[in-house]
Amino acid sequence: MAAEPARSREPDRQPATPEEDVPPVSAPDDVLRVEHIAKRFGPVTALRDVNVHLRKGEVLGLLGDNGAGKSTLIKIISGFQKQDSGQMFLHGQPYVPKSVDDARAKGVDTVYQDLALIDELSVYHNLFLRRERLLRPLPVLNNREMKREARRALDEIGINIPRIDVSVARLSGGQRQAIAVARSVNSASDILLLDEPLAAMGAKEGAQILDLVARLKEEGRVSIIMILHNYEQVFLACDRVSMIQDGAIVLDKPTSETSVQELTEIVVNEYRRAREEQQASAAAAEESAKAAAAGESPSDGASPQP
Amino acid sequence: MASVAQDPASREPGGPGGSAHSRRALPGWREIGGRVIALREGSIIVITIVTAIYFSANTSTFFTGENFKTLLPYFAPFAILAAGEVFVMILGEIDLSIAGMYLFAPIIFDKLNTSVGLPLVPAVIVALLVCMVVGAINGVFVSIVGLSSFVVTLGMLFTFEGLSLIISKGTPVATPGGQPPLGTFGKVFGGGTYSELIWAVAIVVILQVVLTFTRWGLYTVAIGSNKLGAAEAGVRVNLVMIRNFTLCALTGGLVGIFEAVRSATVQPNPAGPNEILFLAIAAAVIGGTLLTGGSGTVVGALIGALFLGILKDGLILQGVQANYLLFYTGLAVIVAMTANVFVGRVRRGQTRGG
Repeated sequence: MAAEPARSREPDRQPATPEEDVPPVSAPDDVLRVEHIAKRFGPVTALRDVNVHLRKGEVLGLLGDNGAGKSTLIKIISGFQKQDSGQMFLHGQPYVPKSVDDARAKGVDTVYQDLALIDELSVYHNLFLRRERLLRPLPVLNNREMKREARRALDEIGINIPRIDVSVARLSGGQRQAIAVARSVNSASDILLLDEPLAAMGAKEGAQILDLVARLKEEGRVSIIMILHNYEQVFLACDRVSMIQDGAIVLDKPTSETSVQELTEIVVNEYRRAREEQQASAAAAEESAKAAAAGESPSDGASPQP
Repeated sequence: MASVAQDPASREPGGPGGSAHSRRALPGWREIGGRVIALREGSIIVITIVTAIYFSANTSTFFTGENFKTLLPYFAPFAILAAGEVFVMILGEIDLSIAGMYLFAPIIFDKLNTSVGLPLVPAVIVALLVCMVVGAINGVFVSIVGLSSFVVTLGMLFTFEGLSLIISKGTPVATPGGQPPLGTFGKVFGGGTYSELIWAVAIVVILQVVLTFTRWGLYTVAIGSNKLGAAEAGVRVNLVMIRNFTLCALTGGLVGIFEAVRSATVQPNPAGPNEILFLAIAAAVIGGTLLTGGSGTVVGALIGALFLGILKDGLILQGVQANYLLFYTGLAVIVAMTANVFVGRVRRGQTRGG
């Protein structure tokens, strides 16, 4: 049922996005493949049919309007939510994360948009949350080692946090985001999912994060999927861009083959199409209401009134 | 408030030593004062010391070993209850059912011993296990079903106080092992003079270590501070919540048995346990644990309980009429909390500046 309207709409979009709804060609060096993922929340369809792939060492920018389904997709890949249908493959093997922990154990780590930082905990406890170092064989936290490693990791990444034993509540939005990113970078994961890593950041702090992403790309160890809002940042940081619209991928191109203009056009066209559709359906509703009123059975006539 | 506490201390070394000496000594005391205030428990430590000094100065009998023994039952049981409650309150939840456990545990303990024929220690263990199961059920209702902890534990409170009335048929129960002359069991489980104090200190130390230095404690704070964030980071929120409610119920049952042994009888009357419940919560809050969650300290709860104990004991020694006791306690709690906020502001100002 969900796929039906998608196909009917296809001709409208043809000029802007010829690749629409075509499963991506799987390259042999794909570290992650997401195929035909769908997810509903009650009556709301968040994802209809999403195909995404990620090559090794690549930075993929994920674009899309608010509510298009970007965050849902990230949450499914990161093991926080389960898809209703569709499959995922990690290094060619079926990938079914049972939990965030499980996904992380498989090398997929996430920085969330709603900043999964814990205000009341210190910087280094946040960096090591769920990866705490213990004073084995005692089940006691090895705070000294965590502090030392945290300091080293932050220095390596080039993020300036003066004190790592203060609670993160005291830090600026940018610093918090930087720590959230550092947490994932610091892990042994080879796939990083960054959900709006540049939200709530000043220009300088944003540049720091983009530099960090660039450095990671150079190293070539990790592959990154990044949700972004700002198109210019996409062209600065990403190798390839996928655009989600209305729960499906409508564009998948290397950044070198597309432009801010093309991306903007897709969004604007979609907005116009949606508005026309809305108007059409509103008109249809009005029509049917009128028809009902004209047919006037007393119970029907009363209902559209309020 | 802070300066009042520091003054007598800073005068002491400065007095006989001359001005040069005192100038050198002063920053040391100031530093210590600053450190104390920088602690989360700092404000209540200061307030408790001031209260103790006040009663010592105004009554000749307060600062005596004999009075210390009188003071013990006024705070040791509350310290244990508050310690468990802190673990639930840091989550941003509350457990009212501990009063139910407090009443139910000794009654079921008596039944297990006298009717079922279990020896004393196994009977205590089984009674406490029952409490822990109830706590786990609280945790399941709050974390998995998603009900408000206030509602769930209030329901449990009534249920188990009611069950206690049904099982005991409303008549007082003579606590097994609590009858004179006390055996080893009675002396260990609340009957000995220092029994509850030792339990309280041991439990508080252990739980504070758990809270500060283990993953369990870290996750407890994490959930109370940012539940969704903790879940996204991979913390098993439900598990931690169930565990903390279980712990809290356990402390409720444990203190119930201690108090039953100490007083040799169990009065199946919910009024007493209910008052104890609220004093325990007051102790935790006064000690610096937030009702909104995310922050708390077990040691603070112990000191909060000590403050309430000193207050009650001191007021009695001052000859305050029994009828006025609750009234003064109420006012003092409000004054202490206000002072707490004030000292807390000083503290935050200090740590922010430094």
